[in-house]
Amino acid sequence: MDNNNKVTTQVIETEVPMGTIHSAALEPYRLRLFVEDEIVRDAELTIGVNHRGIERIMEGLPVEKANSLTEKICGICSNSHIWNSCLTAEKGLEIDIPPRAEYIRIIMGELERLHSHLLYLAHGSEVLGHETFSMRLFYIRETVMELLRMIGGNRVQYGASIIGGVRPRCELDEMRIQKLTEGMDYLEEKIGEFADRFVRDPMVISRISGIGAITKADARRLATTGPTLRATGIEVDLRRDMEQYEPFEFDVITQDTGDIKANLLMRVLEIPESIKIIRQAIKDLPEGKITNRSWEMQDTDIIRSYIEVPRGKLYHSYKIEDGRVRNSIVRTPSITNINTMEFACIGTHITDAQLAVVQCDPCFTCTDRAVQIVDHPLKKIKTV
Amino acid sequence: MDTSMIIISLIAVIGTLIVAFAVSVWLPGIERKFVQARIQQRVGPPISSPGFMAPIKFFFKQVMSPNSPMPKLYNALPLVTLIIVTLILLVTMPQMYFLGAFASIIAVVGLLKIEEIMYMFMGSLSKSVLSVNMPFPDRVKGAKHIDATRSFIEEVSTLRAFRLIAFGSFPLYIALFVPVAMAKSIYLADIVGYQQLNGPILFTVAGVIGAIVYFIGSMILLNEYPFAIMKTKADVIEGPYLEYMSKYRAYTYITRGLLIFVLASLFTTMFIGIPPNILSPGILITIAVAIIFSILMAVMSAFSPVFTFRQFYPVVAATSILGVLAIVASFL
Repeated sequence: MDNNNKVTTQVIETEVPMGTIHSAALEPYRLRLFVEDEIVRDAELTIGVNHRGIERIMEGLPVEKANSLTEKICGICSNSHIWNSCLTAEKGLEIDIPPRAEYIRIIMGELERLHSHLLYLAHGSEVLGHETFSMRLFYIRETVMELLRMIGGNRVQYGASIIGGVRPRCELDEMRIQKLTEGMDYLEEKIGEFADRFVRDPMVISRISGIGAITKADARRLATTGPTLRATGIEVDLRRDMEQYEPFEFDVITQDTGDIKANLLMRVLEIPESIKIIRQAIKDLPEGKITNRSWEMQDTDIIRSYIEVPRGKLYHSYKIEDGRVRNSIVRTPSITNINTMEFACIGTHITDAQLAVVQCDPCFTCTDRAVQIVDHPLKKIKTV
Repeated sequence: MDTSMIIISLIAVIGTLIVAFAVSVWLPGIERKFVQARIQQRVGPPISSPGFMAPIKFFFKQVMSPNSPMPKLYNALPLVTLIIVTLILLVTMPQMYFLGAFASIIAVVGLLKIEEIMYMFMGSLSKSVLSVNMPFPDRVKGAKHIDATRSFIEEVSTLRAFRLIAFGSFPLYIALFVPVAMAKSIYLADIVGYQQLNGPILFTVAGVIGAIVYFIGSMILLNEYPFAIMKTKADVIEGPYLEYMSKYRAYTYITRGLLIFVLASLFTTMFIGIPPNILSPGILITIAVAIIFSILMAVMSAFSPVFTFRQFYPVVAATSILGVLAIVASFL
């Protein structure tokens, strides 16, 4: 499927700017839509109002402290950040992780994917104007949030990982495993009902079919990542390459059309796969300790680590000097998807433009970190 | 007309207005609490909150100057709209039928049109901080299309209000002409009289089709979901109402509640033959229809996403065609 319209080369007459505060945006961003009779011909999305300089704060901190700080990068994917940051250190320091800890990390990662996808669907429904779908999805999501709170201790900032394993409070006992099993059963039933209702609603389908479509070629050109990439039909999921996921059987879901419908369905269909992984992890949960404390700090070169998080590929890198973090870089999936978001808006009606942005599952709070420093007297520009 | 008749008529008019206001403040609460909140499996607001307590609260809020080139005119518009909606109710009362052409369907349509035009004025006079006025460095080196004319999101809603006037409100007006065609008169007195003799128009084939078209037309006029193109949360947010605060926002809340009642009252007048009159037990039917309208609209809104033009135009066109069929059926 192709977008209806491409960027026109003619002079664009009208600009409708929105944000940085807008009811359709969960986070602050500026969206400039260039329109002809309410049809978007070009778009520009700018972030930068929520920059907190976390990498700068990490600079010089002890590795353990820096890792725990990465959890604060994002409320939605806090576990992913601390997991990848710990993986970075573990890779550099060559630490072996106990198998039980790996499984608990996987369970937390998949629970996070579940809540992120359900949040995405609820927010998408809200932007679509379907408040009832949105409310019901938030109810379904509550089960996942409670499970995250049970294991991680919080509904937000529930990161489980520490260097060498997982936090002691994240140990899974019989009661927790029972609750996890019940939660997955409930979730599977409810998401099935929702999916059935969703695809049968003609009004919803007419709003989302063929809107904000991205082709495979466009997705490659724009370096799209995560479920948004898979919604175009490209089967790329980093979980296939992650050794942590090797013991687990799951399918990589793809769609063909790359439009809003495909993106929404992508998340709906990925939920049962995550449930499948969690069930396998519970069933095959190895016995043993959950933390390996026998490791030594040493200096390293730049260490790089990639993992697949709910929105796509997450990158963390830093080097360790005297037990402290240096040159930390975090690249979230949303930064690579910004171009896709702008592109998806083109050819849509203004009302659909915010939905076209939302279809790429933006998380600008964790993305907002690249800052351009302009040394004015010398006109020298440096991007950090 | 003797003095006692004049006094009774005055009492009837004032009494009907009081009842209309008293009922209308509960209608948004019925929509939100009893229907939408139940469908969405949540507690919802107190029933008095959306239509009654919220306006009272807003009357005691601090008045600040809106971001408008003509703030006084902009702030006056909700009150003007409230007066227009009240006038529509007034002309449908039987005590006003002596006004002749002013108590006709032409006057009702004219007043409804003025009510719609008000949204255009509101939208074009609002310049909120949520779009162009946001202090954000848009036009910097490397930015796209820095020469483009910049438009406020309220201006987009103004254009949509114009589309509603030009096209969107067709179904409602077509439906209003079904009783006119059946009674062969534009005067409300004749339409009511026709139904008292021949039974309600609602119980005829043309009447049923007309009633359906009228209901959809009412939803469009009220900008209820899925027809809320003028105040879509995804782009123009509150549209023309965006900058209203304190007592001016209270007027918009009261107007909306009253407009639901007025459209229901107009329906009972045109399709059932019962005009709003406190001295007649028929007022209970008017109140019942207002509540039924609110419930049906809330159900429709709860189960549908907001339309864009891609869905809006075909629905309006199909409903208008249905309305035309109703008029044709009324001649058979």
